[in-house]
Amino acid sequence: MARVPIEAGFFRIPDDPSAAPVLLGSRCPDCDEVFFPRRLVCARCLSVGCLDVELSGRGRLWTWTYCYVPMFGKVDSSVPGYGVGQVDLPEGPRVQAILLGTSSDFRIGMEVEIDLETLREDAAGDDVVIYRFRPVSPSPTEET
Amino acid sequence: MRHGLRFDGVAVAGIGMVRFGLYPDRPAAHLARDAGLAALVDAGMTLADVDESFVGYIQPGSMIGVKAMKELGLTGLPVTHVENASATGLVAFRDAAWAVSSGRADVAMVLCFDKFTDMVKAGGGGAGRDQIDAPILPAAYFALWAQRRMHERGTRPEHFATVAAKNWNYGALCPTAHRQPDHVVTPDEVLASRLVAEPLTTMMCCPPDDGAACVILAREDLVRARRPDRPVVRALASALQSESYSRGHTFVGPVVGPATMTRDTAAECYEAAGIGPDDVSVAFCHDAFVNEELEYYELLGFCAEGDAEKLVEEGATGPGGRIPFNTDGGLIARGHPGGPTGLAMIHESVLQLRGEATGRQVADARVALCHLVGGGSVCTVNLLEAAP
Repeated sequence: MARVPIEAGFFRIPDDPSAAPVLLGSRCPDCDEVFFPRRLVCARCLSVGCLDVELSGRGRLWTWTYCYVPMFGKVDSSVPGYGVGQVDLPEGPRVQAILLGTSSDFRIGMEVEIDLETLREDAAGDDVVIYRFRPVSPSPTEET
Repeated sequence: MRHGLRFDGVAVAGIGMVRFGLYPDRPAAHLARDAGLAALVDAGMTLADVDESFVGYIQPGSMIGVKAMKELGLTGLPVTHVENASATGLVAFRDAAWAVSSGRADVAMVLCFDKFTDMVKAGGGGAGRDQIDAPILPAAYFALWAQRRMHERGTRPEHFATVAAKNWNYGALCPTAHRQPDHVVTPDEVLASRLVAEPLTTMMCCPPDDGAACVILAREDLVRARRPDRPVVRALASALQSESYSRGHTFVGPVVGPATMTRDTAAECYEAAGIGPDDVSVAFCHDAFVNEELEYYELLGFCAEGDAEKLVEEGATGPGGRIPFNTDGGLIARGHPGGPTGLAMIHESVLQLRGEATGRQVADARVALCHLVGGGSVCTVNLLEAAP
């Protein structure tokens, strides 16, 4: 059974089922600012021609919340709630994503790492997946 | 170089709105018609007096603005659609004020409407199930902001609950508010309501609703001639910005940032008007989620950075306070259908500046400020004043 991204162009899914997904970003060759997701024009210096880069799978949690509603509203009611966070990657981008865990698992400044969440099975029988972050354990206590 | 707009000789001729609420059986065009007719009556005009119209909504569908205008009559007037997410109503107001100020129209109408109940029938607004943005709801986005503030400033859920209770209780005093509680809402009641996204509870979030509102702007001399019997309210100045890039910008998922966009837009509007926050008597902001209101106390210049909690503790933004905020209940109690939201702010501003906000009147109100952010994202700040 294959794994397919919820939307193409944002992350790469390795063939190895145990390997983590890779976020696809861009780096400006003129000012070196790094972005997620991919873009042609640098948002900082307006230079045209950003280069494709792959981003780190680890970062620090800038902020988090826990949603007490099913994901996708009432469409998929199998999920009681879920974490959401903003993660600062070492290259610079801040990424909004689902978090694995519950309220008591999250702390601002903690190190988190990327993996995949299966959202549903599509008509072809493939797993529709999206990236998520989960606390790295044991968690360092350092805060940003 | 970009500037805020200073309007010259533009006054509010008339206002009208349909109380925000749920109207599953009333077509959006009929809500719009009723708001438009109310504004025309208030202005002492008919559609034949209107030179140009700006129509705003955020629900799906093209052409429905011009069709809604036809409910008021077919006079051949130019109609332009305006859409800027939650900021739609104020941006349409800005365009109409500029049309009059620039001399291209003597009378301009702003008509906004939206039906959340139609959006639910159509499968909901926002991103679909096949988009990367889909899992992160607006409530979560603002909760992330609230959590960060609590971390940095020591803000407590009680601060958020106090502001929400203030807006619910203002709603009880405003006949056009969706939520009109029949009892005094306490911070404890707000805290005890269901958690949506930590730390936000249902009573800290705006409700889904339907509604329509209309504002007619005209040359001040025409307004004085039509309605010599009442105080004149002027459109004073406006600023509109989209985002400036800074490190930490999030491109995927809901976004209404960076927070500094509100500060920069307000500064541009104050500069255009030649006044500052100390001159403002009453203010309206995008309190779709209550923690936003605290942020905007600071970003709109009503207190120093980090002092919003103190403002809440002093009751400075409630009845009798130094700078009352959202006296019609705000997005939380008056409601937030989308397009008409900004015009409801203008509606309440005009009542306050005319001295007609019965039960919630701010003493000697001279200047009103209306702020909205819209997803994507944009920010607009607009100032109105009572003519001396």
